Amino acid sequence: MTCQTPPAAPPAVRLRGVGRRFRRTAALSDVTLDLPEGVVCGLLGRNGAGKTTLMSLLAGHDRPSSGSVEVFGADPFTHAPTTSAVSFVRDDQRYPDDFRLSHVLSVAPRFHPAWSAERAAELVDAFRLPSRADVKKYSRGQLSALGIVLGLASRAPLTVFDEPYLGLDAGARQVFYRQLVTDLAEHPRTVVVSTHLVDEMEALLDRVVVLEGGRVVRDSTVDEARAAAYTVSGPSAAVDALTAGLRVLASHRLGELRSATVEGELTDAVDAAARRAGAQTGPASLQELVLAHGAEPEVGTPAPPAVRASEGVPA
Amino acid sequence: MTASTHDLAPTTTHRLPSAPTAVDVVHLQTAKRFMTFAVPLLTLAVVLALSGVIAGVFYQLGSRPGTAEWVENSRNNPGVLWALPGFLGYYGVQSVATTFPLALTLGASRRAFTAGTLLFHGLLAAYIALAGLVLLGVEELTGQWFVGLYLMDVVLLGGGDPLRLVAVLFLGSLAVMSAGAAFAAAWVRFGARGPAVLALGTALVLAAAALLLAGQASAVAGAFQLWWLAAAAVVVIALSCAAEQLLLRRASVR
Repeated sequence: MTCQTPPAAPPAVRLRGVGRRFRRTAALSDVTLDLPEGVVCGLLGRNGAGKTTLMSLLAGHDRPSSGSVEVFGADPFTHAPTTSAVSFVRDDQRYPDDFRLSHVLSVAPRFHPAWSAERAAELVDAFRLPSRADVKKYSRGQLSALGIVLGLASRAPLTVFDEPYLGLDAGARQVFYRQLVTDLAEHPRTVVVSTHLVDEMEALLDRVVVLEGGRVVRDSTVDEARAAAYTVSGPSAAVDALTAGLRVLASHRLGELRSATVEGELTDAVDAAARRAGAQTGPASLQELVLAHGAEPEVGTPAPPAVRASEGVPA
Repeated sequence: MTASTHDLAPTTTHRLPSAPTAVDVVHLQTAKRFMTFAVPLLTLAVVLALSGVIAGVFYQLGSRPGTAEWVENSRNNPGVLWALPGFLGYYGVQSVATTFPLALTLGASRRAFTAGTLLFHGLLAAYIALAGLVLLGVEELTGQWFVGLYLMDVVLLGGGDPLRLVAVLFLGSLAVMSAGAAFAAAWVRFGARGPAVLALGTALVLAAAALLLAGQASAVAGAFQLWWLAAAAVVVIALSCAAEQLLLRRASVR
């Protein structure tokens, strides 16, 4: 008698060698990626890194110039049931002329079988979305809130949020985070969210994918990402010595002081060596790791006072 | 930030939901009930009111309802021709240009969207034709709105023949909406270049046809049959629908 292991569940998202060109500009290049079902994945990277293009491909709103995109095992561009399994509200979403909130809420349930009218009503109330104004006259924050309503209430098996916090104040963002956690606890599904607010959303994320120049530069769990780098700071000479031969992702200088984000695991030996040299070490935060890959700092985060040197030395 | 999703139970493999159908897209297209169903009627009401004002002017100038001159002039009233196409053309354009992105955001496939939009255009054209038929009946029953006004019983709409009126309104409305939708689909597919190239191509074809027929213009005019217009409308509808389908089949969302 042979013991057979059950076949592994296919990933919710599978990209293989995906490229997308717009005339001479390569928005995505050779992106290969698997996202398991049920994860909340943060899509991180600076403006123009290719995040929205990638999300458009996942939703079947666009098709790749090369490579293949599979969502739940099928091409979302051509396979109708897969297209309907994805909810993706763009940050510049178009709505028909004279469309109001009531129009959106009346048609959305027809398109999403799992639509939750209760969740939608709760969110509309929490975000105080106006019902009498045309959607085209909504403020930036109200448009983001409407996108959140559509995304969360749809309960689509793959829900994609494109910088859902744009224009939202801190209170409204907290509403979104709480509602996301609550709804996912009740109705688990795969979520992809692009964000620059890395620190603010870090606790929500299971995985991170960092894009830089249209390429994936990191694809890991949040824990793996956190363990993948550490910071060394102190006198420049000490930091120079401690990072010699290591792969430095980012480095900042301020006078005689230097701070470096180094790729690798922070071990006791590394920490002890740093102490002996008069320097300090610490685990790199996800934000620091993203910054090291060239992503922009979140709103309110002061820019580093020193220039970012390209001091990377292959390990 | 205290919320966390890390403790969520793993999901089982999703069964994909049933895909939205053309009927769902029709619901999306008709979500604005007032704009879709009331505005055409209001437009016709405005035409009737303006026709009344113009008739009043002629009355002041000495023309009298019921006379041969009054009936002939009134039955050449082109008000409906001027009023409806503008609204229908706009509605055809927006039914694709701004509704396509929302439909795909909601999870509709391109095929369902195109089929649903064509179905919607057909239904709206039928609604307008039916409304015109009812108005023609009211016009006949009330002796031209009690004061000798001609809105539907006009030469352009078949001169009081209900079948011709329905054919003209249905085919005319559908042709205008379909053409608007085709231009919008060209915009969705190719950006600003799309409708520009489509307009240029259409103009070139029409110009070539005019040049070819210029030498036989009098013969063509002499042989003209009313059904030629119906056939032309059918050709416009067929070409527009084919163009819309081809253009949207591989269109990206803008």
